[in-house]
Amino acid sequence: MGGYGDVQLLRDDGLRLDGRKLDEMRPVTIEAGILPAADGSAMVTHGLNVAVAAVYGPMEAHPRKIQRQDRAVIDVRYNMAPFSTSDRIRPGFNRRSREISKVTAEALESVVLVERYPRSKIRVEIEILAAEAGTRCAGITAAAVALADAGIPMRDLIVGVASGKVEGTVVLDLDKAEDNYGQADLPVGILPNTGEIAFLQMDGDLSPAEFELAMEYNFKAAKEIHEIMVDALRRRYEGGEA
Amino acid sequence: MVELVPTLLRQELARLAENDARLDGRGRWEAREVSLETDCLYNAEGSAKVVIGGTVVYAGVKFELRTPWPDRPTQGSLMCGAELRPVAGRKYEPGPPSPESIELGRVVDRGIRESGCIDMDSLCIVPGEKVWGVMIDIHVLSDQGNIFDACGLAAIAALRTAVVPAERFDVGEDHRLEVNGTPIMASFTRVGGRYVLDASEEEELGGGERIHITLGDEGHLHSLQKGLKGVFTPAEFAEIFEVAQQRCVELRKLVAEKEGN
Amino acid sequence: MSQGQTGAEQRLVTPGMAVGPSAGKRAGSGIVAADNQFIATQLGWLQERNNTVSIDPIHAAYMPRSGDLIVGMVAEVRNNLWFMDINGSFQGLLPMSLAPWKVEFGAARQHMDIGDVVLARVQEVDECHNVVLTMKGVGLRRLKQGAVESLPVQHIDRVRGPNNERLQRLRDACDCRIMVGENGRVWIDGSSEGIKQAREAIHAVAKAAHHTDIDTILNELEKNMKGDA
Repeated sequence: MGGYGDVQLLRDDGLRLDGRKLDEMRPVTIEAGILPAADGSAMVTHGLNVAVAAVYGPMEAHPRKIQRQDRAVIDVRYNMAPFSTSDRIRPGFNRRSREISKVTAEALESVVLVERYPRSKIRVEIEILAAEAGTRCAGITAAAVALADAGIPMRDLIVGVASGKVEGTVVLDLDKAEDNYGQADLPVGILPNTGEIAFLQMDGDLSPAEFELAMEYNFKAAKEIHEIMVDALRRRYEGGEA
Repeated sequence: MVELVPTLLRQELARLAENDARLDGRGRWEAREVSLETDCLYNAEGSAKVVIGGTVVYAGVKFELRTPWPDRPTQGSLMCGAELRPVAGRKYEPGPPSPESIELGRVVDRGIRESGCIDMDSLCIVPGEKVWGVMIDIHVLSDQGNIFDACGLAAIAALRTAVVPAERFDVGEDHRLEVNGTPIMASFTRVGGRYVLDASEEEELGGGERIHITLGDEGHLHSLQKGLKGVFTPAEFAEIFEVAQQRCVELRKLVAEKEGN
Repeated sequence: MSQGQTGAEQRLVTPGMAVGPSAGKRAGSGIVAADNQFIATQLGWLQERNNTVSIDPIHAAYMPRSGDLIVGMVAEVRNNLWFMDINGSFQGLLPMSLAPWKVEFGAARQHMDIGDVVLARVQEVDECHNVVLTMKGVGLRRLKQGAVESLPVQHIDRVRGPNNERLQRLRDACDCRIMVGENGRVWIDGSSEGIKQAREAIHAVAKAAHHTDIDTILNELEKNMKGDA
């Protein structure tokens, strides 16, 4: 059956290589307020991914030409640490991180009440410390918790989740092997309360029916992660409830 | 971004110094609590997280196979770099590596390299053909003062727990990287006219020049650096050198404890 | 605003959370209405007072309002004006005409230079966040001595207490002059020991979670300072 090459990604008992069910996500833990220098921060571990986000601002937007008279701009930098992947990454921006930064910023601008802060800038720094497929989603989740932690007003939180296809079967939350040898990846950013979508990318091959199922999985996972996000913020401020 | 130094902060630091006191109530040679965690990052062959007060730093070790230099056919290589990205604080701006981050990486690099704790010959696989390149990358996530000591500690702790990924490169079995020694850095900043150990963010803001001392297991000097505007006397150096000796012994013990686990 | 929350009846809400029907109530700060529901837009403690539902935010940036007393810091000097860091998103502007001295054109720096700390008031704020400051008024001046501490803006009222009662107790206990700027900067002046005690008390209050009774910190301080005397 199906995938690229001869890598088997589904076991004979129908489970995935790491023992997960088709619609089961990797374990997620979130901690809010971990970086004292930032106005708001969060660390998300999603499977073996580790994403850290720091928020600074709102502050006056510099240089002037990036200022918007009617709203704040959100300045996102998604960056993978040199030691985050199995082969070391040379430090610095590349095309991939630039693209992810851009669409992530636009997704966050869709939930933050940017019109409250004309001419301002809100800096969101996403640092990937360990990567195992799905870093952009972990980064979005971390950014949302960090923004809330910084007291930035938002319509809703935003949750990064992905589904995909391996060996012709739709599965939730691809791990590294599934991402490398699978047939499709569908990362989205979901507003858990309104049910809207603010971030969407996809690559590979999905039939309309497969797309529908993948989205269904994504919404289910977004709900679960949302609870973990809220719990992280509660633990930070209510204390001792963990 | 040039930081604004409040006149009153300078005055207050000078006044405190007269009473041998510090803003956060510490003694002159008293450091903030240090927490060290090792082996904390998947994908890095060695890793460490150091927290000193509100300063948070990660270090990760990666290996690569390379061809040795023709004049040193049996020697591998070691490289240590630091990144001071905008995540670390309000004052940090995006862009190419700043002189500050290059200085930071090089000071840590020298301390480790010159201590001789890595035998470059032990990184040889096939003389003249294949050697290991060891790369330590340091990532500062939150700067609330004294990032140098945090980076130095994270780098050596990550290195000392690193596993050479020989299997992945098909050159033998995975094994612990051989590290003979634990060079440790201790940094001093002039605050209110005199030097203090482990300066906080505010002390750095209202303070003057800093001195970084890296000492090896035997208490020998392996790297020194004076940074920022200011001068000092030999007598002042003698005083902080003595403090550095004690400080390095304490931190070395902390690294050893983590390895024991 | 909120004082001495006891915790149990306080509810922490996160952005996007539905916090109850909107019928017959007003949406206060941090709340928007959608589909007959009130939705929280900020992380904070939910409050209902005088039929208005609002959020007491856990973390807030300083938003200048006209009339605010602030502790500012000179960031830039021009011939006829000063730009002040006021711990907000934007700098405040102090024109020569609103300075407490008669300043000749080009002589601004002789009166106040970069890094100098002042007690000023917000004269006006426009929609685009332009902030004009004034130093004309009783007590507004350059602060030549003492120390400046930071206090999260959302905790200012906790340090002041009702009718500034706690602030006064703090002043008395430490025998210090203390001015709390609306922008989260606190100026303290007194003896070395007094400044130290005041600084520690302010940090303790800021650090204390909503559940902690701030008055215990003050009681403790008063006891200690009396003991010393």
